[in-house]
Amino acid sequence: MRRLSNSLLCVVFCALAFVNAQTQTPRKVQVDFKETKLKNGLRVFTVEDHTAPVIALSVTYNVGSRNERQGRTGFAHLFEHMMFKGSENVGSGEHFVLVFNNGGSMNGTTNEDRTNYFEVLPANQLDLALFLESDRMRSLAITKENLDNQRNAVQEERRLGVDNQPYGKTGEMQQELIYDNFAYKHTTIGSMEDLNAASVQDVTDFFKMYYAPNNAVLVLVGDFTTIDALARIRKSFESIPRQPNPPDVDMTEPEQKAERRASVDDVLARAARVDIAFKAVPGNTPDFYALQVLSAALQAGQSSRLYQKLVKEKELVTTVGGFMDEKRGTGAFYTFAILRQGSKPEDVESAIAEEIEKLKKEPIAEWELQKAKNTTRRNFITGLQSSLSRAITIGQYTTYYNEPNLINTRLDKVAAVTREDVQRVANKYLRDTNRTVITTTPKAKPRAAAATGQ
Amino acid sequence: MKLTTQIRRLFALLGVITLLCSIALAQGGATGPAGQTTKGAVIKGRAPVNKTILSVKLPKAEEATLPNGTRVMLLENHKVPTFTMQMVILSGGLADKPDYRGLAQFTAALLREGTTTRSSRDIAEQVDALGATLVAGSGLASITTNVSTSGLVENLDQTLDIFADVVRNPTFPQAEVDKYRTRTLQSLQVQRSSPQFLAQEQFSRAIYGNHPGALVAPPAESLKKLSSKDLMEFHSANYRPNNAILAITGDVTLKEIMPKLEKVFGDWKRGDIPTVSIPQAPEQSAQHIFLIDRPGSVQTVLMLGNLGIERTSSDYFPLLLADRILGGGPAARLFLNLREDKGYTYGAYSSFSGSKFRGTWVSSSEVRTEVTEGAMKEFMYELKRLRDEKVTADELENAKRAIIGSFALSLEQPQGLLQNIITQKLYGLPADYWDTYPQKVAAVTVDDVQRVAQKYVDLDKIQIVAVGDASKARDVLAKYGKVEVYDTDGKPVERPAVNK
Repeated sequence: MRRLSNSLLCVVFCALAFVNAQTQTPRKVQVDFKETKLKNGLRVFTVEDHTAPVIALSVTYNVGSRNERQGRTGFAHLFEHMMFKGSENVGSGEHFVLVFNNGGSMNGTTNEDRTNYFEVLPANQLDLALFLESDRMRSLAITKENLDNQRNAVQEERRLGVDNQPYGKTGEMQQELIYDNFAYKHTTIGSMEDLNAASVQDVTDFFKMYYAPNNAVLVLVGDFTTIDALARIRKSFESIPRQPNPPDVDMTEPEQKAERRASVDDVLARAARVDIAFKAVPGNTPDFYALQVLSAALQAGQSSRLYQKLVKEKELVTTVGGFMDEKRGTGAFYTFAILRQGSKPEDVESAIAEEIEKLKKEPIAEWELQKAKNTTRRNFITGLQSSLSRAITIGQYTTYYNEPNLINTRLDKVAAVTREDVQRVANKYLRDTNRTVITTTPKAKPRAAAATGQ
Repeated sequence: MKLTTQIRRLFALLGVITLLCSIALAQGGATGPAGQTTKGAVIKGRAPVNKTILSVKLPKAEEATLPNGTRVMLLENHKVPTFTMQMVILSGGLADKPDYRGLAQFTAALLREGTTTRSSRDIAEQVDALGATLVAGSGLASITTNVSTSGLVENLDQTLDIFADVVRNPTFPQAEVDKYRTRTLQSLQVQRSSPQFLAQEQFSRAIYGNHPGALVAPPAESLKKLSSKDLMEFHSANYRPNNAILAITGDVTLKEIMPKLEKVFGDWKRGDIPTVSIPQAPEQSAQHIFLIDRPGSVQTVLMLGNLGIERTSSDYFPLLLADRILGGGPAARLFLNLREDKGYTYGAYSSFSGSKFRGTWVSSSEVRTEVTEGAMKEFMYELKRLRDEKVTADELENAKRAIIGSFALSLEQPQGLLQNIITQKLYGLPADYWDTYPQKVAAVTVDDVQRVAQKYVDLDKIQIVAVGDASKARDVLAKYGKVEVYDTDGKPVERPAVNK
């Protein structure tokens, strides 16, 4: 918000003249935004961009599966589906019908730490976008019939992504094993049993507690004038009543004292798999960025140490990869490998452990540091091209860290990481006692007799 | 313009989960009064909709030609300091010999595994250190091979240098070929654990028989005999400047880029390109029902469809609208019926594709095993309805608004725009094809939609594929005809492997 320059700003990306790529230092990409706080507590960010006749609107609510209680896992996401089943002036399903039929696109997404809703539309449909988002923030209308319908859809989503896929159970078990605090100790998709237990009353209570303007961040990016758009936003949203602030979630995660292990027999898998995780740190911390750089060196792309060693040299696995997970609370560092037939999980584990030991003993190479920084930069600024990704990113950084300007400073934080930092975090977090390992073994299920009509 | 149904990013447990699968985002949709069996959406009609469809002018690509014949196209985009560059080689899987399917794909896949001056590892390290990407691929029934790179403009020269080296000077070291073969054979096995893969494989086989369109993965026998020499030959014959289009987008100008291209591609030698005859898709056979028994499944993956059109068919625009209304997104009939009304699934969609041979028009969904019967009933209902009844004027109008309106959004997707221009070139479409696209969409009538529905949804010849628990799905499917059961290795199941 300190970036909020003069009231009328039209330039999104500073338009430095392009001179010569060879001699020029990298051009910085700057997103200028203006923050406005409405009387009811809704935080509003606007970014004018007249390069395409498009508007992108995102509304991020400060609620995710971390806020769920025991017995109601999966509820934050099920609730997200209910946000499309009608409000006072919008019929069930009318939201996406209106957006798609006017040339737009939309979605809603839920993770542990937040829930967001967004639409992109031709710029002349700004009023439509504001109407759709404000009507449901004001007046969600829930029936038992609609809840049962989306309960079914969400349960199919779970089957599609977890129960009917190889390694679906693995990921679920891993998350439950890594964490001690319930907030992250369950998946966002939730259990079938808990999804079945969700009631209309739960929906009503959840809406009142979390879907209030003072618990939300609205970001509008695109082809509009700021004064006019802000007037429209006020008209649509400012009369929605504020609610008491929701209770804070205890995110304390105790230190892990010993390695954790589990194995999974998977009837749908055809190859064994090893999943390793180290409990680490919250996102947007110096050690988080150092672990991201470490991950790039260890396991990103064909130049990575694990690809070269396990896929190419030792030929133990067909696939290897991983990432440093970004969370508001304690995130984890993940590595996984899909084994070739005949490889032993213990051999794969020790080959991975050897590579991790090297990271502890000496700093990564200069080219590996450049790889991490350049790859991060390309990915990040490529993402900033679209109005939608800017709207989502500002909403996310504000909700996660109360730091909207992270959209402009994030690459500097990555650039600040040194080779010594990487060595330090390898020693600090990638310890055996801090490790959780899941081994998945394919276990064919016999074919049922009736399959063949005998 | 190849559209596929099954490219759906399944949510990762550790990632976000969404209201809609991600492919839906790119699509518009259509609705109107929902059908008799569905009340999938309630339209209150109170939201303020601007009736004007924003007309947008699509940017033109600048074009140039290198002295050796390489055609260059550039779409400038100075929003952020990045670029992408795509070398389209006008030979792909369709240039494979009939007894050696996959050669174009293998050649592309192994480009990165060594050149006259760089090892596989050198290439990997240099590309990654620049923060660039470098990928190459060709479909088994594709008319082209694509080699693409993307990167930061401050690293343009170095990235271009590696890109050109990989395109021009690959050596396909035998040791790398051998490693590629063994890991790919293993990956092909792992792929068979995906029910979507199994459904797509069987469906393509049912439609195309011996035509290369049947292949969704390279045959193991091709991989087994693969040698460095074969790849060198394919590369030498087809990777030539007079057989290539270089399409670029990003923070560069033609004035800057041409001398750089001249430097790295200038002495690339022309060649005589082998001619390829495009095999026509076979005539549609009678209806078949295939059931892949996948023990442990809790859902049935359903795919139903027929042969569709060639990309240049005059039925393209009517079919575009018919597909949009049937299943082209969350506002379409299949989604509103099977998900929003019945709660059978997370999503139900249709899609069509068309190349230089006839593509497919297919509807698909994943439904819990217990409702396989209900889902089949609704699929057949919707397909029959599209044939037997005219769509309403409102539905058609909405579908048109969806497609034409989305042109505004496409202006933020330069790579998509560039892809459109490539499509126009590859299929010899008129130069003003994309400029007049909205008018062609607008000209389609409800009669046109019904005509193509009747022409391309042929229920007597529809191919039905189900992947799931055969002990539960078999009897349901048997109501529609004779069911052929296969195991997940593609072998016919004659009798039970194990009695329960």
